[in-house]
Amino acid sequence: MTVQTETSGESLITTTITRRGFVKMGGALFVSLTIPPGFTLGAAESQTSLDPSLLASWLEIRGDNTILVRTGRTETGTGMSGYYAQAVAEELSVRPETITLILGDTDRTPDGGYSAGFLSGMENVRKVAAYTHQALLELAAKQLGVPVASLSVADGVVTGGGKSISYAQLVLGQQLDLKIPVSGGRAKIDPASPFGNGLGGLDGFTVTGEPRTKPVNQYKVIGTSYPVPGIPDKVTGKTQWTCDVTLPGMLHARMVRPATMGSTLISVGALDKKQFPTAEVLSKGNLVAVVSPNEWEAINAARSVAATTKWTAWAGLPGSENVTKAIRAYKWGAPSESQGKAADVAASLASASKTISATYELPYVRHAPIGPFLAVADVRSDGSVIVWTHSAQSQGLRAQIANTLSIPAEKVVVRWLDHSGQYGRTTFGGDGAEADAVILSQLTGKPVRVQWTLQEDLAWSSVSPAYVIDMKAAVEVSGRLSAVHSASYTPHQSDARLLGAFLAGMPAVTPKPGTWIATEWPYDKIQNRLEEAYGMPSLGADATSAGLRGNIMRTPGQRQQNFALEGLINEAAASARVDPIQFRLNHTTDQRLIDILNATAKAAGWEPRPSPHSGARKTGHNPVTGRGVCIMVRSNAYWAGIAEVSVVPSTGAVQVTKFTIGADCGKVINPRQLDRCMKSGVAMGLSEALKEEVTFDKEKVTSTNWSRYKILTMAELPKIKVVQISRDDKGFGGGSEAANAVVPPAVAAALFDATGVQSRRIPLTPAYVTALLKA
Amino acid sequence: MANTITLSVNGATQTVSSAPETPLLFVLRNELKLTGPRLGCGMAQCGACSVLLDGEEVRSCVTPVSYAAGKKVTTIEGLPAIWATEKNLSGDVAAKTLHPVQQAWIDEQVPQCGYCQSGMMIAAVELLAKNPSPTVAQIKDAFTNKPPSPHLCRCGTYAAIIDAVQRAAKSMKG
Repeated sequence: MTVQTETSGESLITTTITRRGFVKMGGALFVSLTIPPGFTLGAAESQTSLDPSLLASWLEIRGDNTILVRTGRTETGTGMSGYYAQAVAEELSVRPETITLILGDTDRTPDGGYSAGFLSGMENVRKVAAYTHQALLELAAKQLGVPVASLSVADGVVTGGGKSISYAQLVLGQQLDLKIPVSGGRAKIDPASPFGNGLGGLDGFTVTGEPRTKPVNQYKVIGTSYPVPGIPDKVTGKTQWTCDVTLPGMLHARMVRPATMGSTLISVGALDKKQFPTAEVLSKGNLVAVVSPNEWEAINAARSVAATTKWTAWAGLPGSENVTKAIRAYKWGAPSESQGKAADVAASLASASKTISATYELPYVRHAPIGPFLAVADVRSDGSVIVWTHSAQSQGLRAQIANTLSIPAEKVVVRWLDHSGQYGRTTFGGDGAEADAVILSQLTGKPVRVQWTLQEDLAWSSVSPAYVIDMKAAVEVSGRLSAVHSASYTPHQSDARLLGAFLAGMPAVTPKPGTWIATEWPYDKIQNRLEEAYGMPSLGADATSAGLRGNIMRTPGQRQQNFALEGLINEAAASARVDPIQFRLNHTTDQRLIDILNATAKAAGWEPRPSPHSGARKTGHNPVTGRGVCIMVRSNAYWAGIAEVSVVPSTGAVQVTKFTIGADCGKVINPRQLDRCMKSGVAMGLSEALKEEVTFDKEKVTSTNWSRYKILTMAELPKIKVVQISRDDKGFGGGSEAANAVVPPAVAAALFDATGVQSRRIPLTPAYVTALLKA
Repeated sequence: MANTITLSVNGATQTVSSAPETPLLFVLRNELKLTGPRLGCGMAQCGACSVLLDGEEVRSCVTPVSYAAGKKVTTIEGLPAIWATEKNLSGDVAAKTLHPVQQAWIDEQVPQCGYCQSGMMIAAVELLAKNPSPTVAQIKDAFTNKPPSPHLCRCGTYAAIIDAVQRAAKSMKG
């Protein structure tokens, strides 16, 4: 691979070369790595942080010409570690295989930030690589005695004037004292946080400035299917997962949770020391646990203690069958967020030839990973704390742990390791077993490993709250829409507290109810719109456990709001007797949306006609078929989904037989991994469309195992077709997350096409569909 | 040691001291330091902990270690050796060769978070031993309807798993 560099003109940054002799650590040589004493650490920094304004905090070139990159963001399973390596390799003109990443450790990475915010995270390391590239070319120009403009780089070797030198040789024995511009800060407790999660600075540091980056038409690495780096180790058993951390003297813990979501502790059950000789019961406030050096003993002793632990009674939840009623009953004030012009929308609705109104409902669902929460903590006698976690927000978690223990953040180190997916629940640095672990470690003076059970995770982790969304559209004589009004009502969805902290009565962040408009409006030809998002406290918020703590989940807010918007558009298209794809095309001028919709329709073999189809039927034992479509715009990406279903009216069984999904997320970074994320996102979306609902009675969650909280199985996976559009001139868009959100509206539309009955609620379970078709 | 149990794990004889009713999973992970199988549901509902016991998939989270006494336990760490033995691979080649199922999991880029995939690969090895050329329908059936429960993946990698099983099937025949 040879890349002609385009460098000319003045550097945007100041490069100072100082000879400081060999800096050696771990057998490798560095540009400027071991941050010598008094050289890099500012007064505000400590030994548990890296200075983000120093390039060396982010990137090292080692003696063997391999590269180490550090970022506080983590791999959440969608391939970010591959994308980061590709972006860095591209800017430095090296092979991505030469790059290794340190992810998520608060003491070994400079930036913090959202793991889910892959676009900003990748932009950080891309700029770091670009600054480094620029500095290395200047060095090479001096060494080789030729102008920067005449240099070229291939595979980490700079060539010019007939001579070559590797990056490693360039920095050998030298200290590259390079400052880069950054903005932002570290996560901290902030009661006025914009999301209402009680935390600020979750964006972490952002690398600023505009270093010269490689033009897209010269890309050699971005746009190729570079294998995601961690996969071979996961497949062969070499990965060290969070659950694999063992420390000398470590105790295994199992928690004993309250009898209901609002119970307080009356008395801790007895521990039979004859039966469980090395176990110990611990409690603090309403936090109760059993620890033992032996995991199996901890499990059995915890069961035994739980059986005789006494809790007060409580019954403060409405029951899952009454969620909509409970949301409706709340005394709503002003919306948390509002966009658009109320007067114009009201005027359009008043003068419309027809209006369409519909209410859409989504139940409580949850992230439900296969591996329940787990953490290991070591609170040491000198007051320092190390926590091993799989949180997607290490710095946010660090701030929360410090707050709970009332110690400075500098005393806390958070180390990240792979584990089961989070799907958004730790995006704000909360939820999880970490507070349990630090509190128990503090109580015992020993390292403690806390493993939640599945039942505990499905009952006590945060949830994605229910939504009730009122939609109204003004329809012109032509059938086109002139105005849309949406009002979404939902319990809190950014409660990032750590359960253990407030069960123990220790400091926790203070979330504030509220919600937001997540929709990126796709229909520019609809003249008037008013979007309102109303937030209320979590159901059961007054309970000691804070009730059903609402939290964000994959494609948050937009997943739910798009279900309503696209449901309304499908209903309006049917009302106008217009093909639903044509109806969408009639309401947008956005060429990217038009292109992805047309390409997806073509791949699906879509034949234009209105819904429902002529053979639609809502009775009988023989299956009827239908198809439905939806679109979405999110994070500089355009999505289209087309579902084909087979429905047996008499049983209400909905089978999705084929799903075609299209995405234009700007320049595709890694086509194969995008394919994987699109298909797996469809699976998650189907799971939500067909199966998922958190159930609860008045006391507690009742869907606490996999036969009660049902998720999609392999047999239910349809044939999936993927359409990708890559564009060189639109930057990068988010492709890993959003596929799940384009599934439920398309499946509901397909059910309507097949039966002629509108479904304004998910999941489309046989019981619900049967009742719907009979109504 | 007073009460010990002897079992064969990935070809090596191991004597363990855990109580006989201890689930095999905790013995493998905590006593033998084999971390391939992982705890999911703890009640045989998900498949994350699956291992092979004399070639049959079992859920190690509910299988007492005493039940495994005298039987051959295989975790993902032991899959390459099974393949090497089956194919009579020599030392050097064997050391560099993964089980075709593992290689297919890499080539098809199956894992996302990867937490369930150890159990998925165990299920694939068992399936291919019984049915060397499974159809898509047979793969779906094996991963969903075989007792005690479906193999669950929350990341939704089912399509990739189907691709990988088919790739492994081809490779094992070749």
